[in-house]
Amino acid sequence: MIHDFGIVWSERGLLLSGLGNTTILSVLSAAAALLLGFVLTPALMAKQRWLSRAVRGFVDGMRCVPFLLFAYIVYYGLPSLGVRLDNWTSGLVALTIYNAAYMAEILRGAWSAQPREPIEAGIAFGFSSVALFRRIVLPPLLLAAGPVIGNQMIQIVKDSAFLTIIALPELTHAASSIQSRHYVPFAAFITAVLLYWGLCLVIEAGVSSIDRLAAARR
Amino acid sequence: MAKRVLDVAGVSKRFGALEVLSDISFQVEKGETVCVLGPSGSGKSTLLRCINWLERPDAGQIYLNGTEIGVNGGGIVMSDRELSRIRTRIGMVFQHFALWPHLTVLQNLMEAPVQVQKRPKAEVRDEALALLAKVGLSDKRDVFPAKLSGGQKQRVGIARALAMRPDLLLFDEPTSALDPELVGEVLVVMRELAREGMTMVVVTHEMGFARDAATRILFLDRGRVVEMASPEGFFSNPATERARQFIQRYAGRAANGGR
Amino acid sequence: MNAGDVLAILQGAVVTITLSLTGILIGLPIGLGLAVLRWADVPVVARIVAIYVSILRATPLVTLLLLLFFALPNVGIAIGPISAAILALVMNTAAFNCEVWRASLMNFPKDQYEAAQSVGMSAPLRFRRIVLPQIARDSLPGLVNEMSLLIKVTPVLAVVGVVDITRAAVRIGAETYDPLPPFLVAVALYAPIVFVLVSLQRWIERRQIKAEALA
Repeated sequence: MIHDFGIVWSERGLLLSGLGNTTILSVLSAAAALLLGFVLTPALMAKQRWLSRAVRGFVDGMRCVPFLLFAYIVYYGLPSLGVRLDNWTSGLVALTIYNAAYMAEILRGAWSAQPREPIEAGIAFGFSSVALFRRIVLPPLLLAAGPVIGNQMIQIVKDSAFLTIIALPELTHAASSIQSRHYVPFAAFITAVLLYWGLCLVIEAGVSSIDRLAAARR
Repeated sequence: MAKRVLDVAGVSKRFGALEVLSDISFQVEKGETVCVLGPSGSGKSTLLRCINWLERPDAGQIYLNGTEIGVNGGGIVMSDRELSRIRTRIGMVFQHFALWPHLTVLQNLMEAPVQVQKRPKAEVRDEALALLAKVGLSDKRDVFPAKLSGGQKQRVGIARALAMRPDLLLFDEPTSALDPELVGEVLVVMRELAREGMTMVVVTHEMGFARDAATRILFLDRGRVVEMASPEGFFSNPATERARQFIQRYAGRAANGGR
Repeated sequence: MNAGDVLAILQGAVVTITLSLTGILIGLPIGLGLAVLRWADVPVVARIVAIYVSILRATPLVTLLLLLFFALPNVGIAIGPISAAILALVMNTAAFNCEVWRASLMNFPKDQYEAAQSVGMSAPLRFRRIVLPQIARDSLPGLVNEMSLLIKVTPVLAVVGVVDITRAAVRIGAETYDPLPPFLVAVALYAPIVFVLVSLQRWIERRQIKAEALA
């Protein structure tokens, strides 16, 4: 057993690059999904019925589809329609679009729970457009939604593991390669599990520090 | 002759079929404290919100120091940026305080002067600290609003409005959301401002404050100006039956210890 | 893609649903058991459960599945794709269910428990008659939510060779050189199942809020 872990250690370069790719995938798609969420959320709450219904349909639809199938469709299905993306692009696009639906719903919930008066005070004190959003609307919104966004980030990290099926060299794919090369399944996969755990603990630490900031202001 | 700070000329506002304000006109001279009284639903808050264009009036003009608000020289509705610039001249105190929850008390005071008015941070800070001392909250400067009592929040709300060095202060029922025992500390601050010659328009149900701090009373009912009088004249000798009934009802409530 | 292909995907759906139900039915009581161990604060065991839950919540199902499928035979435990799939689902969902159950247990009013104690109910009786009916009601939305999440990760089971909806769709896609239609059929099978569960969760939540408002 110790010997097996020795083999995994000797392949640490591969494993670390897998961890790196998982982190890059997760961070990039989480950031993109959050930004996209900020675009979708106002549409979700729009007064124009056609717009809010269309976005609502997208958000609810995405939440009913398994991510793995969605990733399959983006990678294997879209070429039938003439859209051919490589595995990195497919993975990023799939993770981003899929999670944007969740982010939009999270932000809508937090947004509609925000009191209206402080925002109105911002307008009365001369804030407008971008400054109003950035200085007055956004900070309390992020503090309120922080923990749920953190949970969604953990979900994104886990979803990214599915991308091993489109041969994206992320952490699970790296562990699979090591296991098939040396036949050390336990050592390879348990190491991957522990690395995922570490990643999630980092996210949770971030969430709890946001939570501390929010608690001081509640 | 005193300088005219605010001129409201024929302002009307309707929400759907409901006419909330109808042809309201009045002026406020520099240093005046005008109390706007009236039964609930008479349009008092809407009037205040029309003055700084938080609500857009359907008709009429509003001038601040002779400059029209909301519409520029060519008769075109102002851009957000132009409106913002004028709004910085008008301070507003809200019924539910509307402090920014993510900022400390001191940061609440400094936010708009630094970010909107682009004044130097050090100067704003000195002034903000002096204002906090004035409202008796120097020890709370690094506390978040959530940790304050209602009375303290509203005193911060007033200090925050003053930090903009406004030409005019609007108060939207500043004590209605407070527990009775906390009303006094806010009124003390408002009385002092009135005495110092701050120009103020105060929507309130505090008859005591209106009686002894106001320079004039504006009585609204169903969206119309029913009376405009000195406090002595209004309270001791109201010209209309509506005003008489209103005063009686509130005097009765005050006698029962209510507000 | 012909009618036979659709039938093959439908057969896969039977496998998917069977495995999901098995996972849910086994995972529910195990989750409750783990939650009780943590709630009762059994020394050492409670700690181990906490770490188990923390790790499992962070582990992607595909990684867990590969670990079980390849490593268990390595230590002399023969395991097929189906058993590995069920084990992975149970281990995963039990950890999430544990958190849902535990949250309800923490919310359970202490005075009720003490009242049951004062009328001489034994500990197992107290739990079965007083605590369980109430926390079950309280946990229901969370548990239904977890069920919909579980169903959404089942396509992963295809990775170790379980012939479920996804594997059937992949096979047909490879045979017909047109993967889009079979995947769309797969989505069309999954979406209503998840939709029903999500709606069920919302319905239960609304009903409970209404009941509380009346109380």
